[in-house]
Amino acid sequence: MAREISFIKAVREAFQEEMRRDQSVIVLGEDVRAGIFATTSGLVDEFGKERVLNTPICESTFVGVGVGAAMTNLRPVVQIMFSDFSYMAMEMIANQAGQWHYISDGKLKVPMVIEAPSGARGGAGYGHSQSIEASYMYPPGLKVAVPSNPYDAKGLFKSAVRDDNPVLFFEHRRLLTKKGEVPEEEYLVPPGEAKVCREGSDCTVVAVGRMVHEALAAAEMLAGEGISVEVIDPRTLVPLDEERIFTSLRKTYHLVVAEEGRKRSGFGAELGALAAEKWFGYLDAPIKRVGAPSLPLPFSPALEKALIPDSRAIADAVRSSLAGE
Amino acid sequence: MAVSNEILSTLFRKMIMVRRLEKRLEALVFNARVPCSGHFGLGQEGVGVGVASALATSDYLFGTHRGFAEYIGKGLTPREILCEYYGKATSLSRGRLGQHLLKVEIGVMPLPSSLGSEFGMAVGVALSSALRHTGQVTLNLFGEGTASQPDCYASLEMAALWKVPLVFVCNNNQYVELDSHRNISTGLDVAVRAQAFGIPIEIVDGNDVGLVWETTVRAVEKARKGEGPTFLEFKTYRRSTHYTGDPGGYQPREEIAKWAENDPVDRCRAELRSRGTLDEAGEKAIIEAVDLEIEEAVQFAEDSPYPAPETAFTGLYA
Repeated sequence: MAREISFIKAVREAFQEEMRRDQSVIVLGEDVRAGIFATTSGLVDEFGKERVLNTPICESTFVGVGVGAAMTNLRPVVQIMFSDFSYMAMEMIANQAGQWHYISDGKLKVPMVIEAPSGARGGAGYGHSQSIEASYMYPPGLKVAVPSNPYDAKGLFKSAVRDDNPVLFFEHRRLLTKKGEVPEEEYLVPPGEAKVCREGSDCTVVAVGRMVHEALAAAEMLAGEGISVEVIDPRTLVPLDEERIFTSLRKTYHLVVAEEGRKRSGFGAELGALAAEKWFGYLDAPIKRVGAPSLPLPFSPALEKALIPDSRAIADAVRSSLAGE
Repeated sequence: MAVSNEILSTLFRKMIMVRRLEKRLEALVFNARVPCSGHFGLGQEGVGVGVASALATSDYLFGTHRGFAEYIGKGLTPREILCEYYGKATSLSRGRLGQHLLKVEIGVMPLPSSLGSEFGMAVGVALSSALRHTGQVTLNLFGEGTASQPDCYASLEMAALWKVPLVFVCNNNQYVELDSHRNISTGLDVAVRAQAFGIPIEIVDGNDVGLVWETTVRAVEKARKGEGPTFLEFKTYRRSTHYTGDPGGYQPREEIAKWAENDPVDRCRAELRSRGTLDEAGEKAIIEAVDLEIEEAVQFAEDSPYPAPETAFTGLYA
């Protein structure tokens, strides 16, 4: 049996392996030397201060530094301490990083990774808890990875570092200490390949990031009721493995999309529209979306919990879908 | 003046090219031959030409949205510039860039639409050159208006902290779009802001193209030796309005007239004549050659096809 390591350790190993393999990989951000969520802890000891750069607190500028470095033969990983802060660098991400390869007609490349811890963990408040990964599906030229477990985190991260395009890499903070099987030998998880986490025949649940675990719990719950749920983890939102989802839909004819982020203009909105547009004939019931309401996330864990979807909400959506509601 | 006759003659020719190319493009805008507006810099050509000419071809330049001084200075040709403005298939970007001139091979780096977005990028490029020990220097040229962007300050902070080979250059033409800089700022000497980070500064007459060149060469060589960033501010004046759709009227006539007497082209001509390296016939020959090059470029751009629409769907990802 493969060893089990935490999500944090999996990402740190990916950093170490890629930085050893390729001198052009550097990491920069606030407190990356100490490593506030520990994915970068210790890197400075092995790779030195030149390749592990602590920056002043200015997301827009240091993401810009990453863009400039990426345009000139480095492969920077830029860490944003909380993904909420990435909006401070939205100009650099949406208007610059994703667009210059196209606008320059291929003369420039922007091979950079933006590593961004995200998600609600209770008691962190409105600006340290959001799941805003779907925001980055809109600007062109970006890739968006939302791993749900240590294996995918390591494999996707290594692919992201080697990608010649900007990749946003979201790490749910509730998953960081969760352990999972990760082989000793090297492997990659390419972007755009969804994973079937549980096979089923009655309903397809496409779940993002931490919601994969809630969806699996819902599937277990529903199995007791004789309902067979197929759980798909897209792993990357852009590019999206449409083919894998469609294959599942051709079997189940029912679609539920679950995310911790907000429903409005979220991943479910996009996938739901895509399904209605392309696969209408394979839908026996309306598409169900599970996600947060369009509200700020309040501080009190009791209030936060009320807004974050869970396995029961997903199970309800599946039942409702199968009832044709 | 330490600038050689040869270099000063080159700077003079480039300024003539910039001025006549901008004038020609203005006519193309008004006659709707190009699908965009133009932002011109009559009277401030000495700054862009001087600073960009101080760089090696392999050095990097982040330029401004105003006029062609630094682009001609760095080596872009009228044909390359006009084909981008026309949006033709023969442009370096095959019609994608428009006014955002770029030529990576000669170090002309992105000109973002959102002014000031280059501050972080310029630090990143300089950092990359330093880490890879390439000996290249990056020069970021921006206006005094753009210096208000917060990224300016964090980029000064990081450039000083990491001692990257980067030269900050403020082209202070005293007008920020449609208003005087003094109406939107109390910090009229922009360079002093860099002193807060321990960056050495120089505030220099920007209408003396030789002095601009010489000052920049010193800062560039200092950066190349690993001695860190310098902040240069060149004082000049924009006699053009903000862009071709701007009728102006907010700049006092007397002010424009006063600065017209301090014109960088006139001053350079006087210097060359006093050195005996330029006479009337010599200048006439320069103008004729420049105009011929421009007209050939206009004709080439006019005759070039637009890119095929289907090419718009290609090349998003590397």
